[in-house]
Amino acid sequence: MVSINYAFREICCKIVYYGPGLSGKTTNLIYIHKKAPPQTKGELISLATDADRTLYFDFLPIDIGPVQGFSTKFQLYTVPGQVYYNATRKLVLRGVDGLVFVVDSQAAKLEENIESMNNLIENLEEYGYVLEELPMIIQYNKRDLEEVSSLEELEKCLNPRGLPYFEAVAVKGTGVFDTLKAISKLVLEKARGKSEPEGKKELISVSAESKSSVMPSAEREELEKKPYAPARESVPEAPLGKDSFEEVERDLEQPEKTYRVEEKLEKAREREREKEEQAKETVRLQKEKEEELIKVRLKEQEEKARKEKEGAERKKLFLERLEREMAGVERQKKALELEKIKEAEELRKKEQAALIEKMKKMEEEKKTLIQSQSEIEKETVEAERVSKEAVPEGPVQTVKADETGLPFQSKIIISPMLRQKKTKPAKGGFLWRWIQKIAGPNLDPKNRR
Amino acid sequence: MDTKNSRSEFGSKEQEVKLQDDSLIIHEEEIEKIDRALIKLIKGAEAKCALLVDKDGYLITRQGFTHSLDTTALAALLAGSFASTREIARLVGEPEFSVLFHQGKRDHIHISLVGERSILVAIFDDRTTIGMVRLYAKECGEELATILGQAHKSKKKSEPAIDSGFAASAEDRLNDIFRD
Repeated sequence: MVSINYAFREICCKIVYYGPGLSGKTTNLIYIHKKAPPQTKGELISLATDADRTLYFDFLPIDIGPVQGFSTKFQLYTVPGQVYYNATRKLVLRGVDGLVFVVDSQAAKLEENIESMNNLIENLEEYGYVLEELPMIIQYNKRDLEEVSSLEELEKCLNPRGLPYFEAVAVKGTGVFDTLKAISKLVLEKARGKSEPEGKKELISVSAESKSSVMPSAEREELEKKPYAPARESVPEAPLGKDSFEEVERDLEQPEKTYRVEEKLEKAREREREKEEQAKETVRLQKEKEEELIKVRLKEQEEKARKEKEGAERKKLFLERLEREMAGVERQKKALELEKIKEAEELRKKEQAALIEKMKKMEEEKKTLIQSQSEIEKETVEAERVSKEAVPEGPVQTVKADETGLPFQSKIIISPMLRQKKTKPAKGGFLWRWIQKIAGPNLDPKNRR
Repeated sequence: MDTKNSRSEFGSKEQEVKLQDDSLIIHEEEIEKIDRALIKLIKGAEAKCALLVDKDGYLITRQGFTHSLDTTALAALLAGSFASTREIARLVGEPEFSVLFHQGKRDHIHISLVGERSILVAIFDDRTTIGMVRLYAKECGEELATILGQAHKSKKKSEPAIDSGFAASAEDRLNDIFRD
């Protein structure tokens, strides 16, 4: 749907090139990209396979610049034409504003074209769009080839509504810009139509001989019952092929047409009734679903609230417990500290007491020592006095070293023994080594003098 | 003949109204709000840039370092990517994959669904983490959903943007530009 961005002053429209495989949709875009003035075009993006077949879509943004203060942009998309790419083809149709149906004019491809058109209607229905309400242009491509269907035949099969069409040779660019201009105009007109609904819409009648398989069978039958009118040529001022109420009323005034119209209206009524019933059913179902959803949500909310409450309470309790525990721990800590301090004091006191006792003991010992000393002194004095009385004075014995220079004690051990026996211990013998060890080098007669 | 019945046969007005409601119309004040939310996302998650894209492939707005990016093409491709992912989801029996993440060597892309019809895209590199982007994108997505929801409600009152002369002047321009 047309996007209007007031902040950027932008209007964006999505135009999709639809059609069977190899009909020239991407070629259209390539030509536009090649020939459009550089300031108007963006980059052409092609999501294609290695063999240059469109896989998802081609995308070309076109900016035609400001129109009445709004920068007007067209986004051109192509769809993958191959039948088995329907999944991606359908996605591209989302939010489409205008369609260009590119027809491969070759006679052999007629069936493919019809199939593609049916596929387009199906895909649009899945999005809830109605083909008749979308601006659409038909482009008969490849008109330069030799074995092409005649224009009349193609119109009959593919364009029962008499939409505006263009003949084109996309490779050479013939008709490409004409198509683009026409669809752009239709899209913008439609956008205006949305904001200012147009009352008048022209009736486009359909050829009675038209036996194309493009329309769903019920609609086709109805269309076949319609009065004959020649297929119109390219009519740019008729954007939508649609009957208006006035037309129906006018038909009713003509008696020979009345029965057809009545039949038509009868069917329409039936269909209307069915639709209404269906709509009611769906509305009811939706309501039920919504109610269920609301109930479920309410429950969920209650559950959530309850859980939150519980959680909060639990948290509170936990915090309280934690605080209590913390307080207990603090108290314990304090008590412990106090105990420690007390213990330490007691220890100190004990130590002091022990020290004092020790000191006392030491003092006592000192006293006893002094006492004993004085006693000893007394005794020695006594002893001296006794010895002076007992032993008369004589020469004082002095200790002399003999000629070996050794003290007497060693002389007592060694010298008398050696001199008395007048033998020398054999050198190298045990005794000799022992003597040598005791006496040292002085024992050697060479060293003696 | 009752015209009420004939009406439903030929020009289903309801559907037209429905289509009209579908079209995306965005006003300045909404864009301002959206931009603010996007900036919050960029700053919070330290992303390079953030884009809000319509599911149809239109860029709604963008913020951050987007100068080097072809945002129009990016928007179209991202929307396409998201559309195909949704189709994949449908095929595997999942209602929708609401978050998509593309990991690259330098830059990564986080794509998430906003409301019914918009896609929030955040492009970021290794300065931040996917977790941060995810967190802020979720927050931002919720905010954007409310903004867009309000916009959708108030849209019905808005006056038509395009007047009758628009198509005509556009046609002149088209004729100027596209000449063989």
